[in-house]
Amino acid sequence: MSRSRPTRAVLALCAAGTLVLAGCTAVDDPGTEAEAEAPQPSDEAEDTGSTEEPQETGAAQITIGDGVTEEPCPDAVNPDNGCIYLGVLSDLTEGPFAALAVPITDAQRAYWRQVNEDGGIAGFDVDIDTYTRDTKYQAAEHAAAYQQIEPNILAIAQSLGTVNTESVLGDMDANDIVAVPASWWSGYAFAENDMGLIMETGYSYCTEAMVGLDWFAENHGEVTSVAAVGYPGDYGGDSAAGVQLWAEANGISDVTVVPTGPNQVTGNQDAVVSAIAAANPDVVLLAVGPAETAEIVGKLAAGGFQGRFLGSLPTWNPALLQSGAAQALIGLYNHLAPTEQWDGTSEGVEAMKASLDGEEPPNAGYIIGWVMNYPMHALLEKAVENGDLTRAGLRAAIDGLEVDFQGMAEPITYGGDGKEVAVSGVIVSTPNPEAPLGVESADEFYHGATFDKVDYAQACSATS
Amino acid sequence: MTAPTTSRRLTGESRALEPRSGGGRVPRSVRRGRPRLFTRYAADQALLNSPAKRWWTLAALVLALALPFLVARDLTHLVTTAIAYAIAGIGLNLLTGYAGQISLGHPFFMALGAYTAAVVGGRPGTVTWGLELDLSLALLAAAVVPAVVGLVVAPLATRVRGLYLAVLTLGLLMLGEQLFKQWAALTGGSGVGRAGAIPVLFGSDLTRTYAVGPLLVTPETGLYLLALVLLVVLGVAARNLARSRTGRAFAAVRDRDLAAEIMGVNLLRTKTLAFVLSSAYAGVGGALLAILIGRVTPEQWNILMAINLLAIVVIGGVATITGTLIGAAFVVLMPRVLEWASEWLPFVSTGSDGLLNVFQLQSMLFGVLIVLFVILEPRGLFGLWQRVRTYFRTWPFSY
Repeated sequence: MSRSRPTRAVLALCAAGTLVLAGCTAVDDPGTEAEAEAPQPSDEAEDTGSTEEPQETGAAQITIGDGVTEEPCPDAVNPDNGCIYLGVLSDLTEGPFAALAVPITDAQRAYWRQVNEDGGIAGFDVDIDTYTRDTKYQAAEHAAAYQQIEPNILAIAQSLGTVNTESVLGDMDANDIVAVPASWWSGYAFAENDMGLIMETGYSYCTEAMVGLDWFAENHGEVTSVAAVGYPGDYGGDSAAGVQLWAEANGISDVTVVPTGPNQVTGNQDAVVSAIAAANPDVVLLAVGPAETAEIVGKLAAGGFQGRFLGSLPTWNPALLQSGAAQALIGLYNHLAPTEQWDGTSEGVEAMKASLDGEEPPNAGYIIGWVMNYPMHALLEKAVENGDLTRAGLRAAIDGLEVDFQGMAEPITYGGDGKEVAVSGVIVSTPNPEAPLGVESADEFYHGATFDKVDYAQACSATS
Repeated sequence: MTAPTTSRRLTGESRALEPRSGGGRVPRSVRRGRPRLFTRYAADQALLNSPAKRWWTLAALVLALALPFLVARDLTHLVTTAIAYAIAGIGLNLLTGYAGQISLGHPFFMALGAYTAAVVGGRPGTVTWGLELDLSLALLAAAVVPAVVGLVVAPLATRVRGLYLAVLTLGLLMLGEQLFKQWAALTGGSGVGRAGAIPVLFGSDLTRTYAVGPLLVTPETGLYLLALVLLVVLGVAARNLARSRTGRAFAAVRDRDLAAEIMGVNLLRTKTLAFVLSSAYAGVGGALLAILIGRVTPEQWNILMAINLLAIVVIGGVATITGTLIGAAFVVLMPRVLEWASEWLPFVSTGSDGLLNVFQLQSMLFGVLIVLFVILEPRGLFGLWQRVRTYFRTWPFSY
């Protein structure tokens, strides 16, 4: 046996491999054929019986596809109905937003349970439990969980985290999966960023900063200097970008941006406290978490800081009124939100309160979670009207979809770009121990003049 | 008188057994039933030196090639992630297992590889760079750039050993984390991140589905096959390296570096080579991981990932390549197995209710396993497998 035999064997193998590779051709419709030919033993205990082949269902003549079955949901409210499966990718255990995300998910469950109890949608119940996955707010877990649930869902009812959503956006685009995000990045208002797949609710952090500062200037006197504190990325980064835009539009040059991180990462906010104390602005916009808010406000107030604080949507937790910073918060802090709070008067708020039989949820995450369902509900109903309850049908139905949120949030008409979709109403609240969930909110949405002046033609902060 | 070309060691009939091109002649009946009897140097040195090994390797390869066509898409994606971790783990095993240089900075090199591939093969964003070159070039760069950085770091590392080296590499990891958070043009910046390289290999877009005869190669399958090819090539290369003169130098340095130096093993060269090679492997692993996850942020290349990699090396088997594969499969697939098993375990839940949830159980299990393996079976799962195999091979004399 010659020494060249192994080399010859390797060469032969490579040649065979290349021949095989040369024989491959691109196939243009991956969905149809892939599902049909490659056997897909499902990971889940339930067999969703998903099939790509569109089926006509009975008299309703609705085309259904992946993620919708004629069999009832597991533990179905209406056993005669079919089932629409929605996915939830949220931070339910370990990540920095778990305290907010768990009530968000609970609110979604309560909402869809009520929809099912009212008969479902066109003969289908909505199941949101089977494909709920914890992502720990990490892109890797989010991507893996998305891969796991994607074959069996019609759409995503909650996708927490802009970076996480972006990590799977390409795949969502290829599979026509629409989603409602639990994040308020300004880029969602532009088709170049969200590919028409994302149905945002409420303003973006960028807009929040601009409108909030307008409110402040109107109610607390002229502003000569501003500071923005936040986590880098779509949250604090977007908020800081909004502050910069506002300052430019109003001729303010004294802007201090202080990036920071959650206490899990940085330990404490002392660096922020000293930076703000040194800069001494009139108002500080906070884009951090509740614990960090309490620490920053409490320590600065104790140090004699004279300015006030505006807190972004995720900065408030009613438990802060039991902390040492309670007095400082009541005196110096205002909360900004895109929706009515628990003391609101709209139809949506009444329905939300009814879902908990008048009890208060642990924090305002419940309100966010409730509001998020209106676009998805409206989308499903519109798709049913169009007779096309497939993924592609849902995606097509987004264009021109009008959602009024039952008065809880400002109405949005999806499908446009920039200011056509971006809303800018803010509900400003003040901490009050007597009020439900610890904040007493304004009666109506506040709109500022600066947002109309600003050129909202692209995302305020880039995500790459 | 012509000088004899064959040796004078064998006389008479035995001359027929002398090694020459074509080899000596040994009757096949002698070798039957004696798989460890080698009659040629080539057979002795072969990687797959017994029929059992050859057949089982072939079976494993066939199974590995067929796997994506048999299991669900998300499992294929998970296995591909395990392969990416295995490649990085092989690098760490070369450094820590074979050469004995403890390194907690492996994620730093993985990050370098991921970002190099992203810059060379990725799309440019509003802030980030991207050259959109072919994936082959991106992977090559992802191996070369971390190797060069490893070359720069190595002289520092060769001056210290043991605990101090661990602390030094940890410092490197922290330095890297800050660097990546600030260098937004490379990484997208803290909390934002960027996508990995675009999977366009030799002009073919791996995000499309291809048909090879009756088989459909979906995007997940395509990436899986690419990762598998890389793993086989890099794994065999590492295995051969470990059996070579360099591998023996690594082992000498690991066991007692002063003695190795006295014997003539150049410490600086050996340790530098270990760092360079492990960094190259880490770079390729990191690049693959970035493509699979879809988006990487600077925060994820942290000490938790370093601990995961160490778990892969320790649980799988220190100083073994097969062990690294087993370890990577274990570490990546165990959460999914636990999730599936939590239906049967009464005290474990997948949500936030219940005594223990799956993620906490998983973290606890990792810690316990690392401790157990270090104490009881230092060769890890591979060592356990070796024991089982030896038991059956020497049965009934397995005492």
